[in-house]
Amino acid sequence: MRNRPRWPVRAAAVALLLAAAACGQEESPPSASQAAQAATTTCASKGALTMWERSGGNKQMVDMLVEAWNTKNPDCKINLTYIPHTEMVGKIAQGVASGDVPDLMGMDLIYAPQFEKEQQLVDITDQIKDWPELKTASEGHMTVATFQDRLFGVPLYADVSALFYNKDLFTRAGLDPDKPPTSLAELRSYADKITALGGGVKGYYLPGNCAGCNIFTVGPLMWASGATIEAAGPGDEPLVGDGVKQVLQFTRDMVKAGNVPEGSRTENGETFHLQFGSGKVGMMGTGNFNITLARQQNPGMKFGIALLPGVAPNSSASFIGGDLVVIPKGSKRVNDAVNVMKFLLSDEVQVEVYAKALNLTTRTDMVDNKYFEAEPLVRDVAKALTVGRTPYTVTFFEQINSPQGPWLKMLQRAYYSDDDLDTVIAETKTEMKAIASRS
Amino acid sequence: MRHGPRGRLVGFAYLAPALLFVLAFTAYPLAQMAWMSLHNWSLLSPPRFVGLANYERAFSDTQFWVSFRFTLLYAALITPVLIIGGYLLALLTARNTVLRRVTRTVVFIPVVIGLGVSSLLWYWLFSTDFGLVNRALLDLGVIDKPVLWLGVDATVSSVAISASVVWKVIGFGMILFVAAIQAVPTDVVEAALVDGVSHWQRVTRVILPLTLRTVLLVTLVSVIGSLLAFDQFYIMTAGQPRNETATSVFYIYLNSFPYLKLGYGAALSMILAVTILVFTVIQLLLTRRSHQ
Repeated sequence: MRNRPRWPVRAAAVALLLAAAACGQEESPPSASQAAQAATTTCASKGALTMWERSGGNKQMVDMLVEAWNTKNPDCKINLTYIPHTEMVGKIAQGVASGDVPDLMGMDLIYAPQFEKEQQLVDITDQIKDWPELKTASEGHMTVATFQDRLFGVPLYADVSALFYNKDLFTRAGLDPDKPPTSLAELRSYADKITALGGGVKGYYLPGNCAGCNIFTVGPLMWASGATIEAAGPGDEPLVGDGVKQVLQFTRDMVKAGNVPEGSRTENGETFHLQFGSGKVGMMGTGNFNITLARQQNPGMKFGIALLPGVAPNSSASFIGGDLVVIPKGSKRVNDAVNVMKFLLSDEVQVEVYAKALNLTTRTDMVDNKYFEAEPLVRDVAKALTVGRTPYTVTFFEQINSPQGPWLKMLQRAYYSDDDLDTVIAETKTEMKAIASRS
Repeated sequence: MRHGPRGRLVGFAYLAPALLFVLAFTAYPLAQMAWMSLHNWSLLSPPRFVGLANYERAFSDTQFWVSFRFTLLYAALITPVLIIGGYLLALLTARNTVLRRVTRTVVFIPVVIGLGVSSLLWYWLFSTDFGLVNRALLDLGVIDKPVLWLGVDATVSSVAISASVVWKVIGFGMILFVAAIQAVPTDVVEAALVDGVSHWQRVTRVILPLTLRTVLLVTLVSVIGSLLAFDQFYIMTAGQPRNETATSVFYIYLNSFPYLKLGYGAALSMILAVTILVFTVIQLLLTRRSHQ
């Protein structure tokens, strides 16, 4: 029970935004109106740059990147401010309307299309389109950084999903710990053998109440099976391909076979990151962040990383998440912000900052480096960058990420009911299309 | 007594700060919300006037009414527990002895914890894999396998969340009831004792009628709080299973912020505000009757 009504407070906040928006509607459309200069990895002018980044992202990585820039550019340091994740959209919109925006900002890549469509970001195509670094920049990031063939940002950092597997449990189950599954059929067969070990050990993990966890880990199973998921916009057909039904059937069978812990039905993301490190799950889709975490949780556990497979042998896919660095409309230091982007994509930063800290590089041609060579797990998970993708829709939250959205509803019906899968898919399509049509 | 213009001006000056506060932080936002509910507005682009379209959509929005019905059920479930439980605790601890004061403090402590924090705490306590509740019940032999408390069965989830909320807020009502019970004139109670009433009769015929206004006040606060329930459901079940534990405010939040449909969210908020207004008017009428 709440003892204070919250809506008046929210309404007040929104009212203030409204007033600010009304004041700011006369501003010129976003474009790289400043005279474009050849980008370098250093600052073109003096004075601190301001940058916003969402909290709840990879703070450690962003701090290191800013520190590296500041060390190289002592006269043009970045003043970094973290904005609570849930307030980011409102804060940016308010800032754009009132002209009080940072010079550059990090943004959850999944929301970029929405801001691009609404012309809230600076079009930097002319400054960066010829950069050779873009040819190998994370494809998922660049997909969502592009709107109507114009570029609005570059990768800030990347999170990818992959199949983590417990080598100790593989050995105990009589499986070869150096041969992870390469198809859904193998995944099922291996999970059966691991679950048969008993003692609370389960072959696989499905986060039953977490839309985001599922697009991160089950979505790639569908992509790898040749399917598409979201409706990109009005009139677009979602959930296309046999892979959708095949993956739903696979997950349903896994649950029915007892290969998934019963408690996973309540998983809303709070304990998702702790499951693999518990040592009681044979295989699960999770992210690169789980390498360090699993080691801290269970130092003695031996584990490997493979790509998330599809129906056909050796098919694979991954979800590329993370943040973009973009320039909000109204930024007064566009050229310097572009230089920061150039800096982030430079060979030196890719290797000596990203890779050295054992974070994923944001360029696929940079994964072969001395730091990843010494850390095979990171090298393995980095392969996901080459097969990864990112959903592209301005209604991502409503279609996919919402706890009340059609994506999670479809998965829960597949996992925990006997509803006809064709009907489930058809109803989900209808809902997704309706959402996309309202965009 | 009549006052001259100067007296009225002084009176108004005394009222002005409160009046300004109410105008700035209640009346104006409410008016803005009404205005917003007539527009489509994503925050990222200028608002567009749509008339009553948001209201039309709200009345045919099945999920909103599922959430609304669940919210009313939740309020109906938890309010009696909070009122009766709080009153019983107050009766037990109203007298000022050391043990009773300590008990009051212990029961009241959760009130000062944020609801978000308390919800997260209980989420972990109810966790299937890591939670102490299942561990304790298993060790005591009450259950033979962990219970899936949250997000699987709507009834079980509601009971679990209600338990966490009762723990969190029952002390609030208890303290108000204690204050009301302690304010009952001792001569009235003594007169009843002289007349030979039993303990039960003393409570039902003397103390309860004299504290009825506080009971109605706490009821109103509980009902409004329950109708505005959000944090606990957002954190503990995220509306699951099948959106059956999604409350109205949760649905309003989703539409207003993650979906960026501020106009639609405002229309839903107006509907909820009218509902709360109805409950408030009923309570005011009951309070007036009890006063008479």
